[in-house]
Amino acid sequence: MDNKSRARLIHLLISKSMAEALVITAVAVGFYFATTNPNLRGVLDQADNTSITGWAVDEASPSARVEVQLFIDDTFAGDSTANQYRPDVHQAKRAPDDWHGFAFPTPQLSSGDHQARVYAVHTNGGGSRRTLQLIGKPYRFRIGQ
Amino acid sequence: MTTESQAQPARSTNSEPSVPSDRALAGWEIVSLGSSALIAEWILSAAAGRTRLIVAIPLAFAFVLVITSHVLRKESLRDLGFRFDNSLRAAKLLMLPMIVIAVLCIGLGLIFGTRPDLLRWHPERPIAGQLALGFAWGFVQQYVLQSFVNRRAQIVWQKGVRSVVLTAFVFSFLHFPNPWLMLVTFIGGLVWAFVYQRAPNLFALAISHSLMTWVIVSTLPMSALNHLRIGFKYFA
Repeated sequence: MDNKSRARLIHLLISKSMAEALVITAVAVGFYFATTNPNLRGVLDQADNTSITGWAVDEASPSARVEVQLFIDDTFAGDSTANQYRPDVHQAKRAPDDWHGFAFPTPQLSSGDHQARVYAVHTNGGGSRRTLQLIGKPYRFRIGQ
Repeated sequence: MTTESQAQPARSTNSEPSVPSDRALAGWEIVSLGSSALIAEWILSAAAGRTRLIVAIPLAFAFVLVITSHVLRKESLRDLGFRFDNSLRAAKLLMLPMIVIAVLCIGLGLIFGTRPDLLRWHPERPIAGQLALGFAWGFVQQYVLQSFVNRRAQIVWQKGVRSVVLTAFVFSFLHFPNPWLMLVTFIGGLVWAFVYQRAPNLFALAISHSLMTWVIVSTLPMSALNHLRIGFKYFA
């Protein structure tokens, strides 16, 4: 193999690696946007021994109601739809109407510290995938004796 | 065969940038081909969803590399194994290991409680179509494995045990993480690489590949083979 052919082969190998890196990057970015909804907004406001409440809005589709799932201490505890009356969210101009709140009754829990997380359900891949996206921040609360 | 099996030292002068030796370049080519397959199996097939066409992108890159490399290395079709004059020799070399492996597969299948069933793989498809598709798929795999990987492995380590084992290892590794498939592809890779180094004939190898695939899927338990799934889809 002469040096000219060798140099051409090296250029091809480097170009191929760069092209593959670009494809992987494009797929990673595309996959992120397919599995994540950057327009979801919401807050987990409160959690105690009776209820866990907050609100969630999909700003790309503000009239739609967001499906939410509750996890307590990393264990699934229920699902619901953010369609409860929350006029404060509307007044703060975070939603086009008053009906974007969610409220879960707190299940039976042992006494002590617990952590609640609420996730919005995001359907993608033509319905073949459903991914969860954390709403606001995890909320720590205590159940008394 | 016109394989350039002699290692050439890298040339370096003040006016000319250093270039890798032919051995290093051949090793790089094998790694590059493997990376394309792994990207397709592990990244794109996982992210693709229903858009399966995207998996073809790294495979297309790989074929561009394979064909361009043949041209730059001035390998003729005859060198690569597109020939019939050595068919009998290739068939003779393949016959015994194929019979032994088939008997072993039947025995293993019976031990695991699976009776041989030649129509088990795709019972709804016509047998002629399955054979044609099996041959075509076997031919493509053998072309890449032998005409590219095996020949580059011979540049790295010359003709012999080490290049045969390297070829079989690459073939097996591309079937990761399916343990049974990795085992049978390693054994098959050893046999086919050995035969190719003595009688380079892609048509005989493709027939052998398709027949052995048929034997394996007809004899070994499907639960063990996990429907021949590899890469990310193994876990699907």
